[in-house]
Order: sequence, then structure tokens, then C-alpha cells
Amino acid sequence: MGDLVMAKPTGSTVNSSALYVFEVLRFVADMPEPLGVTEIGRRLSLPVSTVFRALTTLEDAGYIQRFQNAPRFEIGTMPYLLNRALLSRFALHGESRPVLYELAQTSEDTISLWMRLGWYGVRIGGAFGRRDTHHHARLGDVVLLHTHPAGRTMLTMLPDNEQSDYAQFVANHHADSAASLDNGWPHPGGGGEVRRERTEPDSVRSSSVAIRDQNGAVVGCLASDGAAGGDDPSLDQRLCQARDTLEALIAAAPERYRSPFAHIPADKIQLNLASISHAKR
Amino acid sequence: MRSSGGTISPLAMSAAHSALQSQPGVASGAIGDKGMPMTEGDEPVPQGIDRAQGSDRAQVKATARILTALSVFASEVEDLGVTELAQRLGMTKNMVYRALSTLADQGYVVRDATSQRYQLGYRVLELQNHNRPEPDLRALCAPFIQRLQEMTGETVSLIIRALDYAVMIDGIETRLPGTYRMVIGSIHPLHTPASGLVLLAMSSDDDIQSYIARNSPLQINGGQGTLPPKDLWKRIRETRERGHAQVIREDALPMLSLGFPIWASGNQLHGVIGSGGPLARFGPQLPAMLPHIAQLLEELNQRTRLYPADPQQWAIS
Repeated sequence: MGDLVMAKPTGSTVNSSALYVFEVLRFVADMPEPLGVTEIGRRLSLPVSTVFRALTTLEDAGYIQRFQNAPRFEIGTMPYLLNRALLSRFALHGESRPVLYELAQTSEDTISLWMRLGWYGVRIGGAFGRRDTHHHARLGDVVLLHTHPAGRTMLTMLPDNEQSDYAQFVANHHADSAASLDNGWPHPGGGGEVRRERTEPDSVRSSSVAIRDQNGAVVGCLASDGAAGGDDPSLDQRLCQARDTLEALIAAAPERYRSPFAHIPADKIQLNLASISHAKR
Repeated sequence: MRSSGGTISPLAMSAAHSALQSQPGVASGAIGDKGMPMTEGDEPVPQGIDRAQGSDRAQVKATARILTALSVFASEVEDLGVTELAQRLGMTKNMVYRALSTLADQGYVVRDATSQRYQLGYRVLELQNHNRPEPDLRALCAPFIQRLQEMTGETVSLIIRALDYAVMIDGIETRLPGTYRMVIGSIHPLHTPASGLVLLAMSSDDDIQSYIARNSPLQINGGQGTLPPKDLWKRIRETRERGHAQVIREDALPMLSLGFPIWASGNQLHGVIGSGGPLARFGPQLPAMLPHIAQLLEELNQRTRLYPADPQQWAIS
């Protein structure tokens, strides 16, 4: 966690005092465990009184909260509500639910629906399977495509020129992740097939299949994560059926199911993954 | 959690509004280092308006307004205009415009160039911590239960359905004499309390029929009497028309209890927030209070509608 970097106000209407309150908020969101005011001040090299005031303002508005009534802080309820509100603008967030629940119930795996957000993938839907005891899947998870099994499935389905654009974007904006991209990514067979990965050491099998819009462009991915031992041959088939259902929805009303950020060029969308990179799958 | 309890004051009636503008006790004299804009001279003074913003206190207020403005986007609403936000927040359009400018600068909202309206920006995705579980129904409702308790002065509770019962899972008990007890885990058949009536009334007629079939005869008064199904249907119709349930229990101390639906996405229910107390105390203040309660619960429902109802919760196995 680095020092506080002040964002520069871009116009006279920007409240510059609020900018550092947001910096404190982002710092609290990134903390791996709840911290007290003194520790936060020390890490941000800010006076305790200044940090205290920022924390009080944020706590009053529900953006941060005390952990177990202790004088240590963690992210509050409001950012999670904003996260949900953002996801609700993806029509598939709500409307894919029956499909995902059904799949989770029959497979007992955890099912995730990912959509592209520029060169990232964001988990906009999910249903926990009965056997799920160790996944940390959360709605709103954001990953760089090549750092995650579902993301890699979307990436492998992209045309070559887009894959090069992606590599360039990672080199420019996420240089610390670029090395893992140089190793390449596994290419599956023909388009639309289920891609499988096993991750160690927790021995999780991840099966995923890309979702395309009516023009054939990869817009998302449907993923099923479960115990590596419990391979079920019919899972691929069910996964593809669910994918077909979602693609039929999209094809019938492309405007409705388009990502609300689809109009922004991918290179323009840049996120700080310090906290969200905790997302494992 | 702040302390609760106490009697209702006229001001508390507008708690829904005033809480938006409440200010913490501000520690004075904090001087930012590292170029932090904590002093009067650093604050960009907008042209012509609100020059009082120079003090630390005013800056904290302005920051609180920005956070409050962003919170309004925590609902299923797609976009918001400046005028609409100003009305919702009781702020001037200029205050709202400046709050939105800061939020846009941070990427938390974006302005649609065509409609001139504001939408949430994807940078709110950065404000999460994956070691912390998502807030549950109790966490979503807690601040509203507290505000409702301050507003009514009576016991307030949060109730969910489990099979054919209404189960109390949270709440605040009043310190006033002669009241309902708030007992976590206490259960009642759905057809007796106000909360249960809401849970029944907001489900389908078929579900209600099968509830009646499963539980007939519908016992009331601790098994001393039974409720004819047609009387239950009458109560359900009243509850549906009113949008909430009102139940008066005739007793040595007549009691009035209310139940309000807490909605999930797709017109399903998460549960019910109930409030009740002696009829003689709670009843007279109710007519004036109901619009404020409705406003408060509308604010809560905008948040709870962002979450689906737990599909396991109602399962009859």
C-alpha cells in the first residue's frame, strides 16, 4: 500500500477537501484487515486528527463502519449498495438469475456470469452451489482477463488483433501483471466449446464457455467452479444449454442486454485492482 | 451503533430528512500536511455563492453532501438529473451540481452528454473489500430500524418468514412501559401478527390457500379460539389495499401493531419491519406519522430491492 496520492481538482466546482476523503475511503477499501485511526494515519502519513475527521464523515454516511464496535474501521454498507446498483444496470444481472440458480442446483457447482468491462471481466451474476464451502466469489469482482480462468476463456475467443491490443493495454497500465501474460494462455479447440482449467493448490476445476452477442462478439462468459474430483460429463452440456439461453436473450433484444459501458472504448476503461485482485475465481 | 430509545419529538418526525444532513462533532484545528487542502485559502471559492464554505466545518459539510448525493444512486434508478437530486436531498441545485462535479471527477458518476443526466460510474467497483462479506438483510435494515424507533418511540423489529412462521431476527425494544417485547428468535404463525399478515398478503392467493389448508383450524389467542379463513382473507385484502398491516389486539391493555413489507428484487419479499405499542399511546400519533414512516421505508426499499430474496428461505421441505 503506497502513500496517499492527491488527485488534482480539474475545475473550480470540484470540492478539493472531499478528494482526500475519497483517498481515505479507497485506502480503507484496500486494507486486508480493519485498522485503527492511528495506523491509517501512519500509513498515509497524515495527522491523526485529519484522518479522524475523514473517517467520521465517511462513517456517518455509511461508507465505512467499525469492525465489531472496535475502534477499527472497514468498508461499510454503502459501497456495496452502489456496487449492486451498478450491477443492476446490466439487464442480465437480474434476468440471468433463474438460469444460474438452476445450473447451480443441478451441478452443485458455483456458477458465475461474467461480462466484459473494457479489458476486464466483471462478475455480474452468480449462484452458489451446494458443495461450495471455500469460494470467495463475490458479485462485482473485477479481474484482468488473463489473470482468471473465466477471463482467459473470453480472451482466447477474441480475434488476434484484439488480443494484441489487450497485451498492449496490460503493458501500459498493469505492468506488474504483464509477465504472466508473456507465458501465453491456453487455446481451446473450436469456438463455443467449454474450456477447463484446474487450479492448485485448492484443486478447483473451472469450466467456462464464452457468451457472444448477435454479431458473434465475445461479451461475457458463463463459468462453473467445483471440486476437481467431481467431474460430471453432462456438466459441459448443461453449461452450453445455459449459454444458449443467455445468447438467445441477447439476440432477441441486443440493446437491452448490452453492457451499460459498451460504448466506451476498451482502452479508456482503467481500474485500480489493488483490492479487487483478491478475487481468485 | 448509537443509543436508541427516548420519546418522540416533532423534529424526530422528519428524521428521514434530517439524518441526511446531520453532522458529526467536528474536531477543530486539524491542519493537513502534504499539501492537503485543509485551510481556508486552498478551498476553491465558487463564483458568487456559498462563500461560507471556507471553514473546516463547512468543508466537512460539503463533503458529507457529496457522499449523500452519491448514496442516492444506490437504487435501481438508471440516472438522475440535478433538479431531481436537489428535491430529493433538500439541497440547492448549485450544491448538487458541485457535489456531482466532484463525483464525476472521481469517476463515481458519469454525465450522459445527450440527456445531461448522471449515472453511476464503473469506478464504484473499486470500493469493495473481498475479505468482508456482503451486508445481509439485518445490516441493510439496522440504520432504518434505529430511525423508525426514534420516530415512533415504540418497539421496532425485523421479521422474516421461515416455513409457516414469522421469525423475529432483529430489532430495538423501547424503554417505555407496557410494550411488545423484542425477542430474537421468537416465532408466530403467519396468520396472527401484523408481520405475518404482510408476509401472507404479499404472496400469491394460491400460496395463501395452501397455507390455510396446511394450518387449519387457524388457532388464535394461544389456542383459545380460531380464526375463520374468511376473516383471514378480509385482513389480507385490507393489508393489500393499505400496503401495510395494522392489527389491534383487544386485551386488558389494547395493543396496536404495524407491519411494513421489505421488498426484494422482482417483487418478492425479504421480510417485514414491524412496530407496535399500546393503542392509547401509539394510536393517536399514527395518522400524522404514517407519511413519514412511508418515506423512510421507501428509502430502505430502494436499497433492499437491489438484492434478491433468499431462494432457500421460503422453501417448504
